[in-house]
Amino acid sequence: MKYLILLLAASPAFCDGLRVEPDDIVLAGTGATQRLLLTVERGGDEDHAAGCRLVSDNPAVVAVQDFTAVAGMPGEAAIRATCAGLHTTATIKVTAATAAPGISFTRDLLSILTTKGCNNSSCHGSPVGKAGFKLSLYGSDPAADHRMIAVDRRIHRTEPASSLLLRKPSFQLPHGGGQILTLQSDEYNTIRQWIAEGATADTNAPRMTRLDLYPRERILAGENARQPIVVIGRLSDGTTRDLTGEVRYTVLDESVIGPPSGAVIAARRRGLTVLTARARGLTATAQFAVIERRAGAGYPRVEANNLIDDFVFAKLRRVNITPFPLSDDQVFLRRVFLDTIGLLPNADETKTFLADAAPDKRAHLIDNLLDRDAYATHWLTKFEDWFRNSQYYSQGRTNGSYKRWLRDLIAGDRPYDEAVREMLTATGDTTVRPAGNFWHPAIDFMLKTFEVSKATPTVTRLFLGQRIECAECHNHPLENLTQDDFYGMAAFFARTKVKHGYAQYRRIWYDTREGEVLHPVTKQPVTPRLLDGTTPSLSGDATRREILAEWITRTQQQQFARTTVNRIWAEYFTLGIVEPADDFRSTNRPSHPELLDRLALHFISSGFRFKALHRLILNSRTYQLAAHTADRPGGTDPLERALFARYEPRKLPAEVLLDSISQVTGVPQQFNGYPVGTSPKELIASNGATHFLTTFGFPRRDVMEPRPDGPSLGQALLMMNNEAVRGKLAEESSVLTAVLNQHQDNRAAVNELYLRALMRPPTERQSAALISFLDAEREAGRTRRRSFENLLWAILNSKEFQLNQ
Amino acid sequence: MTHRRDFLRAGGAAFAGVTLPQLLAGTEAGGEVSCIVFFQSGGACQHDLFDPKPDAPPEIRGSFRPIPTAVPGVHFSELLPRCAQSFKEFSVIRSVYSREAIHEKAKQYIFSGSRPNNAFKHPVYGSVVAREFGGKNGLPPFVVIPNRDISADAGFLGPAYDPFITGDPAKKDFSVQDLTQPLGVGLEEAQGRARLLAALDEEIRQVEKSKLVEGMDHFYQKAFDLISSPAAKQAFNLGAEPDALRDAYGRTTAGQGALLARRLIEAGVRLVTIFHGGYDTHSDNDNSNKKLYPVFDQAFSTLLTDLKQRGLLDKTLVFALGEFGRTPEINHSGGRDHWPGVFSVAVAGSGVPGGQVIGSSDAHGAAPKDRPVSIEDLGATLYKKLGIDFHKEYRTVGRPVKINSEGTPIRELSA
Repeated sequence: MKYLILLLAASPAFCDGLRVEPDDIVLAGTGATQRLLLTVERGGDEDHAAGCRLVSDNPAVVAVQDFTAVAGMPGEAAIRATCAGLHTTATIKVTAATAAPGISFTRDLLSILTTKGCNNSSCHGSPVGKAGFKLSLYGSDPAADHRMIAVDRRIHRTEPASSLLLRKPSFQLPHGGGQILTLQSDEYNTIRQWIAEGATADTNAPRMTRLDLYPRERILAGENARQPIVVIGRLSDGTTRDLTGEVRYTVLDESVIGPPSGAVIAARRRGLTVLTARARGLTATAQFAVIERRAGAGYPRVEANNLIDDFVFAKLRRVNITPFPLSDDQVFLRRVFLDTIGLLPNADETKTFLADAAPDKRAHLIDNLLDRDAYATHWLTKFEDWFRNSQYYSQGRTNGSYKRWLRDLIAGDRPYDEAVREMLTATGDTTVRPAGNFWHPAIDFMLKTFEVSKATPTVTRLFLGQRIECAECHNHPLENLTQDDFYGMAAFFARTKVKHGYAQYRRIWYDTREGEVLHPVTKQPVTPRLLDGTTPSLSGDATRREILAEWITRTQQQQFARTTVNRIWAEYFTLGIVEPADDFRSTNRPSHPELLDRLALHFISSGFRFKALHRLILNSRTYQLAAHTADRPGGTDPLERALFARYEPRKLPAEVLLDSISQVTGVPQQFNGYPVGTSPKELIASNGATHFLTTFGFPRRDVMEPRPDGPSLGQALLMMNNEAVRGKLAEESSVLTAVLNQHQDNRAAVNELYLRALMRPPTERQSAALISFLDAEREAGRTRRRSFENLLWAILNSKEFQLNQ
Repeated sequence: MTHRRDFLRAGGAAFAGVTLPQLLAGTEAGGEVSCIVFFQSGGACQHDLFDPKPDAPPEIRGSFRPIPTAVPGVHFSELLPRCAQSFKEFSVIRSVYSREAIHEKAKQYIFSGSRPNNAFKHPVYGSVVAREFGGKNGLPPFVVIPNRDISADAGFLGPAYDPFITGDPAKKDFSVQDLTQPLGVGLEEAQGRARLLAALDEEIRQVEKSKLVEGMDHFYQKAFDLISSPAAKQAFNLGAEPDALRDAYGRTTAGQGALLARRLIEAGVRLVTIFHGGYDTHSDNDNSNKKLYPVFDQAFSTLLTDLKQRGLLDKTLVFALGEFGRTPEINHSGGRDHWPGVFSVAVAGSGVPGGQVIGSSDAHGAAPKDRPVSIEDLGATLYKKLGIDFHKEYRTVGRPVKINSEGTPIRELSA
C-alpha cells in the first residue's frame, strides 16, 4: 500500500522546539561545571540558539554562566531556556564530590595523554606501542597504563621534574614524537604534581561508561557558520563529567569542517563529514554537513512513497537538496529489470509497460519481477560472491550443489535467519548437505585442515558486519578490539572438524566434544567469548557452533538484520547506509542511523524475508528517482550520492552485460560444456570464466572483497574489438537479419534497435546522427547490413547501454 | 589525407580534454628502468636449473648432470647450456625461499612481495608500477603475455591498473587480443562508427558528470589511442623481426613472448610478465624437464643477449623465477612436488653484476644454507631498481598498506 506524506506537513520530526543538551547531567561536587548546548528546532531545521537565555530556578544548586552550569550545593535545579517565544526546561542534579582531592590518574593523567595524542593509534597507543612505551588506545585500560607509567625508570618520585615522563614530551630529551608539552604548561604542572603526590593509581575511581557528543547531527549553512560542541562522560557512579576539553577529536574530512577550536566547529566547504571524540577507550560521533544556505519557503514539496522516503527526504531537506525527479517510465523499466532480474525487458514487455496507464503499474511490475525465476538466478550471483562459492575452495566438486542450495534459498524466499543457522551449524557430507559448503573457504587446501582463523572473521563480517580479521594479528587500531576478542570468537570453532573423503574432494563436516583454540601469545586454551564480552553457557547438548548461531541470529538479531539490509541497500544505491557495507564500528557512522534501524525492524518483522525488503526498497521513491535530467546534471555534488538524492548510475555487472548483449543481438552465448544460451550466471565453475567475464570484473571469489567496479582499458578494447561483441553483430542469425527484413525504412529499423537496447527511441539529435551515419555508409559503398552492424556496434559501445541508470 | 591519429581525435572529439586526475596520475616522467619477468609458472626445480646437487643421493640429484658455466667453478644443470654460456650477463640467487606452498597463494606472494591475507588483495608489482608511472607513448604500462593469471591482478587498486593481455604470440597470425580492428573494418569505416559513438554519447555526457562516466570516457580515449598508435602497432608486430632472431628465441610461447617483451619494453611499456607454463611436474620429472627447460634456456639467454646488443640491458631489470621450488626428493611418480623451502632466481640488467652466485642451498637443495633471500627482498629490489620508494604506503579497507612490508634490497645486485 502506498501512503503519502507531504514533507512540510506536520510530522513528529517537524515540531518547533527548543532543546538543552546534554540531558541527565549529574554534577559531582561543588564547583563542577558542564557546558550546555541550546538547540532551536524550527520547520525541520536545527540550529545553535546563540542569542538565547538560560536561567536556573535555584542558583544555589546550579548557577548558569554563559551556557555553563556550575554546581553549588547538592540538590536539583531546573534550567529554563527561553528563545524567540519557545521555552523548555532541563533538570540538573548536583551530588557531593565523589573524587578524592588531588590529581587523579584516570581523570587527569589519561585526559592529558589523550588530548595530546600520546595514546593514539599512531603513537604509544598503537598495538605495539612506540619505543618500548605502550599505552592502551585512548586510555581504555587505566590499570595497564598505570603499570606502564608508574615505574622508576619513567618517574622520579623525589625529583618529579627529572622524570622521563616529563623530560621526553617536553623535549629535554630526544623524543620521536617531538615536543608535546611546554615547560610549566598546565599539563606539565599537573603531571609533575601527580608524581609529587606519589604517582598513585586511583583504580577504584568511578569508571567512564559512556561518552556523548553533542550535537549528534548538525547542518552548517554558510561559510561563516559556527557550532559549539559539548562532550559529556557518564560514569559508573551515576555522575557525569564535562569532557569537552579532555577528548581527542578527529574529523573524517577536514575540507568540510575544521578540527574543533575552543570547542567550536567552523564550516569550511560544502560536504558531509563525521566528527569523532575519543577518551577512555570510548567513542562518540557526530555528523556535520556544510551547505551554502538552508532550504527556504521555495523548497518543493516532495511526495514520499514509503518509510524509506520519509527518512531520506527529511535529511535531504535539511541540507537543502531537492531529490531528483521521479525517473521516466522507460528509465525505470530498464533499471528495475536490471536490478531485480539482471536482464533487459523484451520488446513486448517494454511496449506493454509503457502503454499501461494504471497508476500502480510500477508496483505491479516489481511484484511480477520478484516472482520470476530470473530474480533468483540474478541475486544468486551476489550471494555466491558473499559466500565465496569458488572452485578455488572446492575444486568444483560441490560448487553446483551449493549453488543450487543458495538459489533455492532465494527463489523460495526462505527466512534468512533460518538459512544462516543451517549454514553455521551444518554437518555431514557437503555433496548431500550443501549448506556445509559455507565452510569451505576456511579449509587450508594443502593441510586439509579447517582453519578457525579463517572462519572467524568470515562469520563476523558476513553476519554482524564486523571486520575482526585485523585482530588476528594485532589489536584493532581504531576500536577496542583485541586479539583476545578474536580468539574468544575463534574458540567457537575449536571443535569443528572436516574429513576428506574420496580423492580429497568429498568433505564431511562434524563437531567433536573436545578441542580448544590456543591463544597465540599465552599458548593457553581460550574460553569461547562473544564479541559483546559475554561467555554463554557451554554445558548441555548444543555444540559451540549451535550456540554461536543462536547468538548471532537471535540475541544479536538486530545487528544481524542491520548488516543484512545494509548489504542489500548497498546493491541498490552503490553505497551502504554504513559504508563499507560490512564495516560496522563505533568510528564508522551510518549516514541514516534511524533508517537503518527501521529497515532492520522491517526485515525482522517480515520473518527475515528478502522479497519484502526488495519490495520496500524498489517501491520507494528514493529508488525510483532519476539519475539526472536535461536541466539538472547528476554527479556534480558529492552530497547527492552520500544522501541518496538520485539513482547513482553504475556499470552493468559482467554477467548482466554479456546477457544484455546476447539479448539485444539475439545471438545466445555459448560456453564450453554448457548448452547454448546458458547465462554466465549459471556457470558452475567460477574459474572457468571467459576473457569477457573476467575483464568486466567477474570475481574468482577467493577473497571476501567487493567486485572491482571501475572501468578499464581492457574493457574499452574488448567492447570495441572483441569477438564476443563483433561476432554477434556479424552472425547471420542475429537480430539484424529480422529487423532489416521487417523494416525497409531505416528510421523504423533504428527505432526498433533502440527499443531493444535502451527501451526508448533515439532522441531527435541522436536520430539525426544515426540517419546521417547510414547515409554516409551508403555513400561509402557499404551494404545496408554492414552499415547496421556498425550502427549497432555504436549502440552497444555507448555509455547508456553499458550503464544502469 | 588525414593523419592516422587525427581521425580518432575527430571521431572521438568529445573524448579529448577528458581529465581524470586519479587515473591519469601517471606521467611520462620517472621510471627510467623497465622490467621483464620471465615466470616459470608452476614452480621450477632448483636442482635441474641453476643449483645442481651432483653429490646428493640419486633420488635427490635426479638424472641431469651438472655442466660448467662461463664462470669457473659454477655449474648449472645440463638442461641449460646456453644460460651456462651467457652466465656473464646475469646473477643467480640460490637461496630464495617462500612461505606459501599453494600455486595461487605463492604466485600472489611472489608477484606482490606480500603474503596473501584474509583482509584484502594486494596489487602486483606491475599494477604498482602502472599506478606510479602510468603509460608512455600511448602504450599500457603493464603487459602480460600470453594470458591473464591470478598473479597479474591489481587487487585493491582496481581494474584500471590491471595488465593488458596480449594472447599467445607463438600462434600463427598472432595479433594482439582486442587491439586490432575487426577483420575487414578499414580506417575510414572505423572512423565513421567512432564518430557515431561520440555523437550517441553526447547527451549523457551533458547530464552525467560522475567519475564513472569520466573514467569510461578516459579509457575509450586510451583505447582509441592505442589502436591508432603507430608505436603500439609497431611494438606488437612480431612480424617486423627478422626470422633469424625469431628462430633464435624459439618459436614457442616463451620464446616469442620474450621477444615480444623486448619489443614492448623498447617501445615504452614499463613491466612485462611472460607466463611460461608446465613447470608443475608432480610426475615424470625427467621427460617433462627435458622438453621444457631447453625452451626456457633458449628464450632467456637470447633475451639477455638481444637486450644487451640493443643497449637495453642497462635499463631493463630481468627476472627469471617461479613461485617456489620443487621437493628435493623425487616422488614415487618420478616427479617432484611443491617446495617453498628454497629455490633459485636469475636476475639481470639495470646494473646487476653478471656471473655472480648469491647465497647457497644446503646439500640436498632443501633450505638456504647461507644468505637467505626472502620474497620481500626480491620485491624491495625490484622497486628500488625501478625507482619506486619501496616504503610507500597505499590505503585500503581504512588502513595503510605498505607496498613492500619488510624487504631489503639485495645489495649484491647493485652495481
